[in-house]
Amino acid sequence: MKKFWALFFIFWPIVALYVCLVAPSRNWWFPSAPMSSLGHQIDGLFYLILIIVTVTFVGTQVGLGYALWKGATKKPGEKAMFSHGSHKLEIMWTIVPSFVLVFISLTQLEVLANIRVLARFPDEARKTPVAEVTARQFEWRIRYPKPGTQLATEPQEGDLYFVNELHVPVSQPVMVHLRTQDVQHAFFAPKLRVKQDAVPGLVIPIWFEIEKAGEYELVCAELCGWGHYKMKARIIAESEESYLKYLSALESDQNEDGVAEQAESASAEE
Amino acid sequence: MSLTPSWNRFLLLPMLTAVVAGGCSEYDSSFVYSERTTSLIPEAQDGFKSESEAAPAISGVKQLLDDRFGDPQDLKAWLKLPVEFGGTQSAVAEYSAVEGVATVKFSVEEGKSLPETASSVQVVSGALAGETLLISSWDPKTGQATLEGLPSKEIAAGDSCVIDGGTVMQSGRVLYMRHCSHCHGTSGDGAGPTAQYLNPRPRDYRHGIFKFTSTTDVSKASRDDIKRVLQYGIPGTYMPSFLLLTDSEIHALVEYVRFLSLRGEYERKLVNELAGDFSQKAVATRTEGGESRDAIVAELKEMLASDIVEAASSIGDGMAEDWTVSDTEEAVIVPSVARVPDSAESRRRGRELYLSKTLNCADCHGVDGAGNGPQTIAYEKNPITGEPYNEAGLHDVWDNLNQPRNLHTGIYRGGRRPIDLFARIHAGIKGSRMPSFKNTPHEDIWHVVNYVLSIPFEPEPGATGVPVAAPAAAAVAP
Repeated sequence: MKKFWALFFIFWPIVALYVCLVAPSRNWWFPSAPMSSLGHQIDGLFYLILIIVTVTFVGTQVGLGYALWKGATKKPGEKAMFSHGSHKLEIMWTIVPSFVLVFISLTQLEVLANIRVLARFPDEARKTPVAEVTARQFEWRIRYPKPGTQLATEPQEGDLYFVNELHVPVSQPVMVHLRTQDVQHAFFAPKLRVKQDAVPGLVIPIWFEIEKAGEYELVCAELCGWGHYKMKARIIAESEESYLKYLSALESDQNEDGVAEQAESASAEE
Repeated sequence: MSLTPSWNRFLLLPMLTAVVAGGCSEYDSSFVYSERTTSLIPEAQDGFKSESEAAPAISGVKQLLDDRFGDPQDLKAWLKLPVEFGGTQSAVAEYSAVEGVATVKFSVEEGKSLPETASSVQVVSGALAGETLLISSWDPKTGQATLEGLPSKEIAAGDSCVIDGGTVMQSGRVLYMRHCSHCHGTSGDGAGPTAQYLNPRPRDYRHGIFKFTSTTDVSKASRDDIKRVLQYGIPGTYMPSFLLLTDSEIHALVEYVRFLSLRGEYERKLVNELAGDFSQKAVATRTEGGESRDAIVAELKEMLASDIVEAASSIGDGMAEDWTVSDTEEAVIVPSVARVPDSAESRRRGRELYLSKTLNCADCHGVDGAGNGPQTIAYEKNPITGEPYNEAGLHDVWDNLNQPRNLHTGIYRGGRRPIDLFARIHAGIKGSRMPSFKNTPHEDIWHVVNYVLSIPFEPEPGATGVPVAAPAAAAVAP
């Protein structure tokens, strides 16, 4: 029976180690490499903390195992060491973790400020927000400013509207204004490592710089009601040129009067 | 004292067993009959059983409906209807059964092609009509198929059949159950489990009416109209956008929604034939008036045996015609003139028309466009029962209170493109009290569109950007 328990408790760390090793190749890890500039910083921070906690965890487990081993192999009559109330030890295990925590909190400040503090946003993004994203049960409504104008807080004449598809230029920092029409939602683009709650009554700026053109998933990450699972959209990062082309196509679609198209096709036939 | 009573641990096992045994098996769903159907006398609903060889069974409304549309688990394709059920129409060209192996060669109409894969074939005519045969191997080039096993009867050349019939309906059903049924209900009655929490209520398709269409006032919704609503949602309501579904998924959903809508419309029209004389209420009145119930039932029996069978067929023809025509270009509203350029002058003219007696928009939408016109405080009568409604205001055909739109919000349920607003005014909003203004000159409609689009940005009600006589106002000021 002793052997069983020894093997049992050895078995689980081995499973854990195995899972850690195969996780990246089995797609049990991050959804992909970070695809935005902020994503690299966020992942860097994550790995730093992961290393610290791994070292701490493995270290304390080895210590615990050693203590158990020593206790179990004591000969009868041998006295145990009594360390309760040792000032030296207590000071040590208070100061060392505090240093670690202070180190983490100082290191992350920079990244956190880059994500959250408007003044630290890249200038070009901050000055010209590309769109307003309004979360709503259960979809994402997008409002672009009228081409050639600045995005205003309130809808303006000529603003362009779409739903569940946000186009942004690639390889340049962009800022969007996030708001919600009803309850709390969260703007979550896993591959970009962007996650921001949308809070009723607030207009929250978020920025990201997508490194590679393509399609990125946008989901809601705050349980917002029975249709939460439906709240999926896509972010399309494309070259400046095709981004502008998209906006002008959207503009002409939005001014569609049902006549122009026919006139065009008629003139094409002639 | 233990915090967890010890008997708890004995509960776990039976619970686990129950979950494993009963578990997450698929539950059966079924179409429900409308309240109007169930308000008929039982004989009209269920028909008459066969009494002898000479007197075969006579179908009631429920049977007539099930024969044509089936159940979600067992969908029927009524090929007369303009719904794409899926599959490839073909005919048997050759059939041979040699040493227990049945091979069939299929042919398709000129201009159509055979599918790349095929797993089953549904026989439509001939000795095996109504049977489904499984295909074990398939050659898409020649149309040569080997069947699994031998069919019970011979297939003859010329028998028509459908290869992989109903594939579109099946995928539409699965998608509908996943994305739509919790609001719109399994039968499309707008009474799914989450429907009660919503205002406005989810659409009940069974009237065959969709509100926001690009088609004329007398037309049904086109496929494109339903597709547009699925893809872009309806802002201002709970209908979300399903933009991320693929084209084939949207297509399957559109066809399935058409199917449900046609089923509801067919049921409704059948009941219309009978409701006047054979609803429970009507029969009660008639028996009070001295008629015997047996005589009424005999009359019903005769009617179900002859008139209703004919009516059912012509209802089907009528629906097929309506929905087919509505899906053509002729049904689409095309303005005769291009949009009048949006100018202060056009907006002013639009406001004049808005307030005019001929269009009378303000009667419902209010003088300042806030959706608070005098009609919203009037008591209406239900056009079917003749009883006044309990609450003041306008009611749609679904008997829901219908708030005229507040035009200041900048939310346009049927779309914000000028053509969308044009179509809203031209055709009205079907099923609601927004009437059609198709006889208004198109240029005037454009003026109204320009005005309506400008309302959310008005500095004050009625201010259209045209300078008004300021001195008079100045003179009044102290």
